[in-house]
Amino acid sequence: MPPLSFSASQPSGPTPLTRRSLFRLTGAVLGAGALAACAPSTSDSDSDSSSGDSGGKDFKFTAWSLNEASTKDALQSLVDTYASGAGAKITTASYPYNDYLNQVLLQVRGGTLTGAVQLDVAWLATLAATGKLVDLSSYAGGGYTDAALGIAKVKGTQYGLPWTTAGIGLIGNSELLDKAGVTTPPKTIEEFEQVLRALKGLGGGVVPWAAMTKVDQLKDFIAWMWAFGSPVVADGQVVVGDDASVEALTWYKKLYDEKLIAPDVNRFDARALFAQGKVGFYEDAIAGRGAVTKASPDKELASKLLPVSRPVRAAADKPRHLAWGHAVAVLQGEGSEAAAKFAAALTSDPKYTGPWFTKAGLPPTTTSGLASAEVQNDKFTKDFTAAIGAFSEPDPLWVYPQFAQIEKVLADQVQAVLLGKASPKEGLAAAKEQMQGLVK
Amino acid sequence: MTLTQARPAAPAAGQPVAARGRPRRPRVFGAAVTVAVIGVFAFGPVYWLLVTALTPDGDAFTFPPRLWPRSVTLEHFANLADNPALGRYLANSLIVSLLTAVLTVIVAAYTGYSFAKFRYRGRRSLMYLVLASQMFPQALLLITLYLVFSATGLLNTYLALILSFTTFTLPLCVWMLKGFFDTIPDELIEAAKVDGAGQGAIIHRILLPISLPGLVATGLFAFIRGWNDFIFALTLAGPQKQTLPPGLVNTYLGEFQAAWPDLMAASLVVSLPVVLGFVLLQRYLVAGLTSGAVKG
Repeated sequence: MPPLSFSASQPSGPTPLTRRSLFRLTGAVLGAGALAACAPSTSDSDSDSSSGDSGGKDFKFTAWSLNEASTKDALQSLVDTYASGAGAKITTASYPYNDYLNQVLLQVRGGTLTGAVQLDVAWLATLAATGKLVDLSSYAGGGYTDAALGIAKVKGTQYGLPWTTAGIGLIGNSELLDKAGVTTPPKTIEEFEQVLRALKGLGGGVVPWAAMTKVDQLKDFIAWMWAFGSPVVADGQVVVGDDASVEALTWYKKLYDEKLIAPDVNRFDARALFAQGKVGFYEDAIAGRGAVTKASPDKELASKLLPVSRPVRAAADKPRHLAWGHAVAVLQGEGSEAAAKFAAALTSDPKYTGPWFTKAGLPPTTTSGLASAEVQNDKFTKDFTAAIGAFSEPDPLWVYPQFAQIEKVLADQVQAVLLGKASPKEGLAAAKEQMQGLVK
Repeated sequence: MTLTQARPAAPAAGQPVAARGRPRRPRVFGAAVTVAVIGVFAFGPVYWLLVTALTPDGDAFTFPPRLWPRSVTLEHFANLADNPALGRYLANSLIVSLLTAVLTVIVAAYTGYSFAKFRYRGRRSLMYLVLASQMFPQALLLITLYLVFSATGLLNTYLALILSFTTFTLPLCVWMLKGFFDTIPDELIEAAKVDGAGQGAIIHRILLPISLPGLVATGLFAFIRGWNDFIFALTLAGPQKQTLPPGLVNTYLGEFQAAWPDLMAASLVVSLPVVLGFVLLQRYLVAGLTSGAVKG
């Protein structure tokens, strides 16, 4: 091996700048520069907490609808219209719906989120528990319906302004129902069973009812416990496991065993199957219409959607549906007053609620908005509101900040029963114990 | 040991005796089946991604699913042009992943060299401590990191992502490079010392050049970590610095949308530059991963 010569072993004295050392120096400078470029810049609007403050007009608006294909252009247009009218700068941010609550919670707890935030009404109590939401009672005079205002309250405080509300209910495929010889929608649970059997008789892989059987959406079962007479929660106590809820689960399991409802289905699966014309009924919110019609090869599917009130035990019983909706809440801190005015305008001013309904298909929450021509002329919305929206109530578990955990406990046990791992009585007794433990 | 014991056992009565040379056929068949199964596992998802990207919306959700599309469309690829944010997500991903890879390789190289070629008090404990840090669930650290970056003003910057990704890739990369350096004979270093080389010259002029496959393999590993991450990129990067995984999910999946064909088309297109890069560097990857596996 020939002897190596190193600059370190050379006699001391001025070292000439070799090509190699120049290369090293350049590399070091570039590396340091690259990392420095990744560091926060004083002009970076993302990280500059004061950039949104000019006379209290500027604020942030965080919404998942700002990034979803079906709503982003419409909402951005509304935000731009408001910003130019109010002379405000609105900084927007968005997170995927499924991760939205966690991201918002983290930022609220970290003190980095201010302004207006779009929320699922189910999340209001969780956010309210952080103590960072503004009471919007003074902004609630925009003609909202009492029912809508009610679902945006937490323990009587108006922590959100309702933006759109409806319920989650049965949507039928009128073409399949016609084929099965069903002329009028089922009103009682007994009639519903008969219709499901008629749909099964069509064959061809038709799923009579794409009910939720996966854990992530089994909270729908709460409405069926209501239908059988269980209050689910009474006086702050979980009463799951009472006779009515056991009867409801026994019925659900019977349909599952008879293959009148399909295994392993969540909302996305149900929409996909419904879009293919393979499902008699599935349960969804009003905005599900856009998802199923877009995914369907049948261009006429929209006209075949039939909202149906939840069947009841006796014909005189009142149907009950789980409420669904969006609200806009405001966080304490910078720009909160401007954000509250924006929230009120976005959710109640016809200038914003009209285009929002037309472009996104989400009905308004004000009396005048619901009476407007565009809403009244939309047959599906009108029928859905009459059959489902009018009978919607908040999930009794939403009042608990840890509602998602509580619902999951229930869903796990219901699924265990469906899979035959426990009897309805055992499953719901176990659910009650665990749910009550989380409520305390 | 007797000759009889060394012979293979005679076939039991009634069992078929394979003709000389014939056992090869089942072996070849078995190998072919194995390769086919592995091929399906490896390329099945890519095939499904391509098919879904080419399927019209109305057919994409057909039940039961069709392995071969009934009709083909390029509309989902054309839709990408309507979404300029995708270019930003791609650029962010490349910046974050490349810098993570570079930073990881630099730190892991020096640490790995120290562990491989020096003996000092606490070395072994330090090595296991580095490895143990890999055992923590990363999601557990998310809240802590969020608060730290928020307090230091690094939230919503590239640096927040690069630092967090580097932290998570370092333990394994240090061990990868240590294994690689272990295979380099100490005699080579001794010879360099005899020739008057200092530690800097040994590592920079001898060790690192001959460890190029290991460095590339380590860098690619770190790159993949940065490229694939979802939750840290979603939480720490903010809307403007968002990388591809959260960007794509945010764009195509939502409360009432699951635009799978558009998502697949976007995934396919943004994957191409990276796939090309991996094809070019794959010989280093294979050499780097295998040479450190056997101590020579």
